[in-house]
Amino acid sequence: MTASPDLPASAIADAIAAVRRGDIRASARLISRIEAMDQSVRPLLRALYFEGARTPVLGITGPPGAGKSTLVDQLICRYRARALKVAVLAVDPASPFSGGAILGDRVRMGRHNTDAGVFIRSMSARGVLGGLARAAADCLVVLDAMGFDVILVETVGVGQNEIDIMRHAHSVLIVQTPAAGDAVQAVKAGILEIGDVFAVNKADTPGADRAAAALREAVEFRYDAHDLTAWHPPVLQVQANADAGLDALMAALDRHRSHLTAHPAQLRGRLLRGARLQVAELVAVALRRRYLLDDHRDARLTRMLDEVVERRCDPYGAAERLLDGGP
Amino acid sequence: MTPHPPKAGPIRCLLGMLGTDVHTKGIRTLAQLLRDRGVEVIYLGEHNTAQGMVSAILAEDVDVVGLSFSTATYVHYTRVLLDAMRAAGVDDVPVMLGGLIHRDDEAELKSIGVKGIFGPGSTTDQIMQFLESITGKSLSHVRDSLA
Repeated sequence: MTASPDLPASAIADAIAAVRRGDIRASARLISRIEAMDQSVRPLLRALYFEGARTPVLGITGPPGAGKSTLVDQLICRYRARALKVAVLAVDPASPFSGGAILGDRVRMGRHNTDAGVFIRSMSARGVLGGLARAAADCLVVLDAMGFDVILVETVGVGQNEIDIMRHAHSVLIVQTPAAGDAVQAVKAGILEIGDVFAVNKADTPGADRAAAALREAVEFRYDAHDLTAWHPPVLQVQANADAGLDALMAALDRHRSHLTAHPAQLRGRLLRGARLQVAELVAVALRRRYLLDDHRDARLTRMLDEVVERRCDPYGAAERLLDGGP
Repeated sequence: MTPHPPKAGPIRCLLGMLGTDVHTKGIRTLAQLLRDRGVEVIYLGEHNTAQGMVSAILAEDVDVVGLSFSTATYVHYTRVLLDAMRAAGVDDVPVMLGGLIHRDDEAELKSIGVKGIFGPGSTTDQIMQFLESITGKSLSHVRDSLA
């Protein structure tokens, strides 16, 4: 955490203007400060939140090696063919031992490096302070304000953190492979709940039909056919590296977008869940900071901890007293 | 935790290759060694253009760029990249070279702006020392904060 002095109002106005006109370096540096949990960017983020044009956010998640980055590369091409400006936030796992990471998603998207209409930013799942979900949500505020037409967020769908990020997406695409296992795996993976569109990639490998059928069965089981307004999540087969099945996938994503427009209550419910998560995350980060990291520790907490160590108070009661704002 | 570290966050290092060089063993090894020391490596792989690499430098807000070469074209390609970085206003980001760099070319490479050269025999410690001093970021700080 960096204890930087507060930005003067003019500097905030300049920074907002830079982000709004899509200044890549200014925005990229802002994202770095977000990752480092630099508290001085908070006023800027608050202002940028109101600048957001509510850019559609598409979340893409799935197991490692499913072909997410390759699929994102193809999706970028499709969006660019529609003359839409695309931002990509690519989250990759990090070493739990060193905190370091090899962020390699760009390797699959190299052909877009020279396209000014594409902005790709890699984020390490562990390199950020104050939690990945917090950092990703803050980053989305910046990307939204930069004026892109669509934002893609790619995560490896293995942890709660990565799943939480998907709560900020308007549409979620789950990418699976034929090697993902049988229907039981699909059910217990815990990703059926968050997917709006499912793509079984590597459709050319043996077992792709069976995997798609198993996934379809699991998805259908959750779908309420009696609710005529409910979204019916499609299960498609694609072969990302051969650009096969992408037309149908784009059509499915477009249909989901139209569905949300046609059913504003469902979109609102989704946005409310995202907002709830974001606010709860910010409160959790603030509490963690206050009780664990701040150099200046408050006297009340110190007194309470003494009581806990001396067994005059239990940790459960202490936590409740802190949350109630009691003595 | 240091209350006022010089710069917060992990070292972000872009690693990639320019031109037609396909010998990725070295750069992939370095990527893993740096990751194990707590560096965030943004890995671009091979076959990059200078312009594409500059875009990545900008968007990823990296602290340092590492290039690997196993072909004799490195002076040319490094010059092209440094020119492109200057044109884009990101020539403040230091560039280091690794791979088969001949001693006779080191002076020229330094003169065009290369900050670090790590040929055969270089150790991970040497590279880490260079990264920490040139970026002003401390890796121990990162580890402490994450704990």
